[in-house]
Amino acid sequence: MRALPLVVAVAVACTLVGAYVALGGTSYEPSPVANPCAPRPPRPTDGTGERVEVVLLAAADGTACRLGVSREELVLALRSVDDLDALARKEGKSRDELEEALRAGLVRAVDEGESQGLIGGTTADGLRFAADHLPLGLLLSILRGASSLLG
Amino acid sequence: MRTGLVGLGIGLALADSSVVTLALPDILRQFDVEIPTVAWVLTSYNLWLALAAVPAAYVARRRPVPAFAAGTLVFAAASLACALAPSFGVLVGARCVQAVGGALVVCAALDLLTEIEGSDTRAVRTWAAAGILGAALGPAIGGILTETLGWESIFLAQAPLALLTLAAAFRLRVRPIVEPAGRPSIPANLALLLLSGALTAALFLLVLLLVDGWRMDPAVAGIVVTVMPLAAIATAAVADRLGNTVTRAATGVVLVTGGLTALGVLPGSAWWWTVVPQILVGAGLGLALSALTERALHGRSPQAVHGGWTIAARHAGVVLGLLLLTPVFTTALDRNEDRALRAGAAAVLDSRIPPLEKLGVAQDVLAIVRASDREVPDVRGAFADRPDTPEYRGLEDELVSQLDRAVTAAFSRPFLLAALLALVALVPIVVSRKAVSV
Repeated sequence: MRALPLVVAVAVACTLVGAYVALGGTSYEPSPVANPCAPRPPRPTDGTGERVEVVLLAAADGTACRLGVSREELVLALRSVDDLDALARKEGKSRDELEEALRAGLVRAVDEGESQGLIGGTTADGLRFAADHLPLGLLLSILRGASSLLG
Repeated sequence: MRTGLVGLGIGLALADSSVVTLALPDILRQFDVEIPTVAWVLTSYNLWLALAAVPAAYVARRRPVPAFAAGTLVFAAASLACALAPSFGVLVGARCVQAVGGALVVCAALDLLTEIEGSDTRAVRTWAAAGILGAALGPAIGGILTETLGWESIFLAQAPLALLTLAAAFRLRVRPIVEPAGRPSIPANLALLLLSGALTAALFLLVLLLVDGWRMDPAVAGIVVTVMPLAAIATAAVADRLGNTVTRAATGVVLVTGGLTALGVLPGSAWWWTVVPQILVGAGLGLALSALTERALHGRSPQAVHGGWTIAARHAGVVLGLLLLTPVFTTALDRNEDRALRAGAAAVLDSRIPPLEKLGVAQDVLAIVRASDREVPDVRGAFADRPDTPEYRGLEDELVSQLDRAVTAAFSRPFLLAALLALVALVPIVVSRKAVSV
């Protein structure tokens, strides 16, 4: 009888915690970002702007997969060369490795986009030229504003 | 009447350990100090209360009435100094003096209550109940005063209330105690220390979560957290029927542990998720603190000295809680900020707003995040001048949801760590269960 309050307290505490866990308490946190190496479901596109966007997102996925980071981390690092350098340091890569992965990922995505008919030959040639020859800072500026340049 | 006034004095002194919790953002802005610095408004009071409690108790046992009166005057004067402080340094200095006055009041009050009530047991229960009420109501009252009249009003209101309690000591004669003080109860005081460290989480982190995390109005948050003291009052009324001090203390610790664990696994970011955990924590608080205080004082003389040990243990526990939980919380906040940024970037990239607009939205959101300077950013500002379409509203809601998830998850570990602290308090209770049978 003396232990009854304690037993009731244990039961109440366990019931509450169990209910909160069952309602998703242990997974109530920011949504995990998708694996960039896994294929994403296709999305309908409308207009050149959206088609170019799909190609650029595919490029981001390919590059992020190769670097072992998420697409979102890579996109956030595309704000400037300094941010990109910070990402390279964080992932233990050299600046050259990162730059090479970025250029290769873009060329591959442009090739795929062209073969799927998402972008035209002229747009694809322009993006490939930019990926192969432009300095990194300028390339980032173009990537950030690609939609407006090509839309 | 005298009992009520002495209880008011105890409540005021112990409420001050948490009363400015909701005022910290205003104090931070007014004195332009950093977050770790502003926390000293709380830490300094608890630290000095812990350090001064036992010496104050030794003073109080020889001259209880003058000690109570002097402590009240010091507390009232220092409260005024806090309200009128021209600089942050003066505010913290005044808080230290206020704590010394508070220690004298609380320790002398125990001897006054013994004289007024005519019974050690009743005096200890009243003394413990007044302290629990003060500590539990502190954040709520402070929040409402800060929101309606400004943070200075907390201290301005305390000064006359403290002076009012002097009437309790008028013409009261309390016999000084001259016999040497015995050893304090180590298990009961250790359990009080650990439990108070854990309750820091309930009182401080919950308020921070509601106001800074979920952006609730401080006055409304103050009302929400009154659930805890209400539960404590309700439980204290029936505590006697729930067994001896060991059973009550252990039951209380289990309830506090359960409530804090539930706060660590909240399934959503709305205030009502905190209500049931608060009831458990409040009920546990009402049971465990009073039972452990009775246990620490039972059969020990003089009461004031052993009361002083319990105050020292409780407030050392609060300081321990602040020192342990703050770095855990800060690290978790940084980690979850990165996760929220990635989740937010994914939401923008995958949204159905026009591609040309994504860059603009992302830049505006990032600018708000960068400008927030360790406060939770209000990302809705990035959508103020954008079209009111389902696509934009959907993206805005998704970003707010990710932010809420990140903030709530950041509080998870500190709450769980606090639950662990509470659980560890069971060890000294169980170990000492046969030492005293009360």
